[in-house]
Amino acid sequence: MIDSSIHKQSFGTYKANNTIENGDPVVLFLSKENMILIRIRDGDEYICKFGQYRHADMIGLQYGTKLGSNTGRGFVYLLHPTPELWTLILPHRTQILYIADISFVMNFLNLKPGMSMIESGTGSGSFSHSIARTIAPTGHLYTFEYHQERVNVATAEFEEHGLSDMVTIRCRDVCKDGFGLENKVDAVFLDLPAPWEAVGSAKRAFRQNKIGKICTFSPCIEQISKTVTALNEHGFVDIQMYECLIRFNELRVHTVTVVPIDEALEKEREFESKRKRALPRVLRESFKKSLEDARNSTEEEDQNTQDGDEGSRSKRPRTDASSRSDAISPAAEPRNILTTRLPAENRGHTSYLLFATFTPATQGSLSTQPNAAPKHT
Amino acid sequence: MAALGPSDTINAGENVFIKMPSDNVKCIVLKPGSTISLGKFGEFKADDIIGHAWGNTYEIYDKHKTRVYHSEEMNEIEETANNNREIVDDPSSQKLTLDDIKALKSEGLKGELTGEEIVNRLKDSHATFDKKTAYSQAKYLQKKGKKFLKIFTPIKPTAYSVNEYFYIKNPAKIRDIRMDTLSQVLSYSNVHSGAKLLVVDDTQGMIVAALAERMGGKGTILGLYDGDNARYDVVKYMNFSKEIQDTIKTLSWLRIHRPADEKTPDEMQDVTQLTGMDLEGYHRRLKAYNIVEESRKALFEADFDALIVASQYQPESILEKLLPYVRGSRPVIVYHSSKEALLETSTYMRKRPDLLAPQLTESWLRKSQVLPGRTHPEMSTWGTGGSLLTATKVIDQPVQAALTKKERLAMEKRNTEAKKLKRAREEAADSAASSPALADDAATVDAGATVTTTTTTTTTTTSSSATIISEETVDAERASKRVKQE
Repeated sequence: MIDSSIHKQSFGTYKANNTIENGDPVVLFLSKENMILIRIRDGDEYICKFGQYRHADMIGLQYGTKLGSNTGRGFVYLLHPTPELWTLILPHRTQILYIADISFVMNFLNLKPGMSMIESGTGSGSFSHSIARTIAPTGHLYTFEYHQERVNVATAEFEEHGLSDMVTIRCRDVCKDGFGLENKVDAVFLDLPAPWEAVGSAKRAFRQNKIGKICTFSPCIEQISKTVTALNEHGFVDIQMYECLIRFNELRVHTVTVVPIDEALEKEREFESKRKRALPRVLRESFKKSLEDARNSTEEEDQNTQDGDEGSRSKRPRTDASSRSDAISPAAEPRNILTTRLPAENRGHTSYLLFATFTPATQGSLSTQPNAAPKHT
Repeated sequence: MAALGPSDTINAGENVFIKMPSDNVKCIVLKPGSTISLGKFGEFKADDIIGHAWGNTYEIYDKHKTRVYHSEEMNEIEETANNNREIVDDPSSQKLTLDDIKALKSEGLKGELTGEEIVNRLKDSHATFDKKTAYSQAKYLQKKGKKFLKIFTPIKPTAYSVNEYFYIKNPAKIRDIRMDTLSQVLSYSNVHSGAKLLVVDDTQGMIVAALAERMGGKGTILGLYDGDNARYDVVKYMNFSKEIQDTIKTLSWLRIHRPADEKTPDEMQDVTQLTGMDLEGYHRRLKAYNIVEESRKALFEADFDALIVASQYQPESILEKLLPYVRGSRPVIVYHSSKEALLETSTYMRKRPDLLAPQLTESWLRKSQVLPGRTHPEMSTWGTGGSLLTATKVIDQPVQAALTKKERLAMEKRNTEAKKLKRAREEAADSAASSPALADDAATVDAGATVTTTTTTTTTTTSSSATIISEETVDAERASKRVKQE
């Protein structure tokens, strides 16, 4: 499954010369919704309906280059793989975590180079890639998955993506058998159906003399309840819960025509005065009259203005008609404004993120462990 | 047991956030030998926590002694038959007078009473406490605990805790960037140990601080600033080691290009002739000069792994200047506290052929109270956390696949046909323009198409700069766009 002849360009870092060479991974960006990961092999080609893209043509190009197909009918961008791109293109074997949750959890757990961490389960390895990138080069990720086939695929992926030095993957049911790690890690992430069953073992895995953070990821509030109880019983403190979503805006340029209500009403009056059957004659006449009045008053006012009759004019309130003629002309011009909207269908919930803190005092509350709370000086 | 590193313990001289029972957080510098006052929550001696591991909560007893505090387990609330039917709002329910309570407080400060004892006294002298519902009783105790318990928790400054501290205390200082939005900047930027980042950060260094923490002392952050110096006040709170601090380099916008009349310290003075104060001055100038030169060199290598802009100035004008320094297939991120401010930037980015797939996002974050049997979203929540515009920098020099003879002929044929078609279209458009009625019709075309049209135009211009890409490609782009829309 793993070809040792290809060199392992890590998904966690960039290639120093940014140049595509034989054996390198490349993400072909056809569109936002259509990206695939390929491994460059001289002689291979990628074919789609816009033509062929020969790997030979890609060798020597910089990552980020736009490459036209042999037919000239299409093009692709050659992108450098990153954990974020991988999240969008990886073959789903399970539900995966997306950028909103991944980012928030990593920030809350204070992940940085050199940290050790537990992740369970591995699932499709979406989060594992981001963790490995962030704790590299000196940190270590222990990831657990009870499904053998998923373990096999993830193992091969970590190897191919140049992360295997930093990642240890084990096939294990952590709820039953625990993590088998003691005094080893700074952070724990549990994405399990019953995370409360793994809390005790997670507690032993923390480095016992320092602060550590745990996060559980559960879609249902009932799971949260049980986990809170378990964390509480095991002496974890500062229990907090968050939900985090990203709203992807669609940007649009809208043509918005602003018509004052008076203009619309005048049209309606005109229309009504012409409608013979629908309205009784009396009403029709009154509409006609109001329309004429409105016009007369405008004319009258114009004359007044011309006469320079300032006194009488200032006392009289401005008629509808005059304000109408003022208002209509500039406002009725169609105006382009930039607007955003959210797509019709949005993610409304992913999971509840439950966080808690392991402290040396948490460890002290374990009956089997000696109390190692710091001594007073 | 694994040894504790310097960042695992509370060290003398460092910044520490002290969380108090009221949930307020106070930032202090831990000077050895000093006594730190927490107001009504008492005071403690800095030496009592220096050298300890982070994470513990301490209780103040006997005036200012401290001991590790073990909080009680949160208990499931057992429903009782009580309800609030009999409860009336009556200040006389509390039998202790204001003076009594003041006396309790001062006894507490003297160390004669613990916080828990005060809360119990208050509870015992409350006439209707027993009539309250179990939930209301728990809430009452919690509320009083926040006033009278004398406990505190030192919190380690991290990108998250520093961000939270400023977001709650003074969001304007960090331009409203919230923990979730900042976390997304960190992800989109693909920051990692060894990365080289170009940053324009007007969040007082909040973003720079978070990036530096993620690089752990390897790599370079180059921050461009205007004014006298880079205002990275937030970075000071992070207790960075020198190694990490050294990854942050800064360069004034005005010093990017060496002014024609700028002289090196060696050109200004002959070092062999200098003594005493003059020599010291020379070395100071030389050091400052070298720092600027080093930053310039870092910039002009033009091999940045990300561009992150969170500026008070127009983002487009900054992108225009800085995009050339970013490598292909690297993220470009613009942060702004208001989404509206990024709309123009967003259309600008769409028009740039060297930016791929710009995306405008906002983050939503909700915190919940989690108590056994009492879990619900918090009653008040945060306002804006800011908005992000992200894209990928690509290389604006399209490359055409090498063609076989057959492919080349086929392509040339298609190009000629496309040209013919284009000419025919232009002629049709010319004749249409001469008729005013038709021109009006053309003007009312759905404005939704405006953006697309302009984008295509820009692409055409760029394509012509590349030698092999044909106009046909532009048509193909349109075609692929149509496909995308479908």
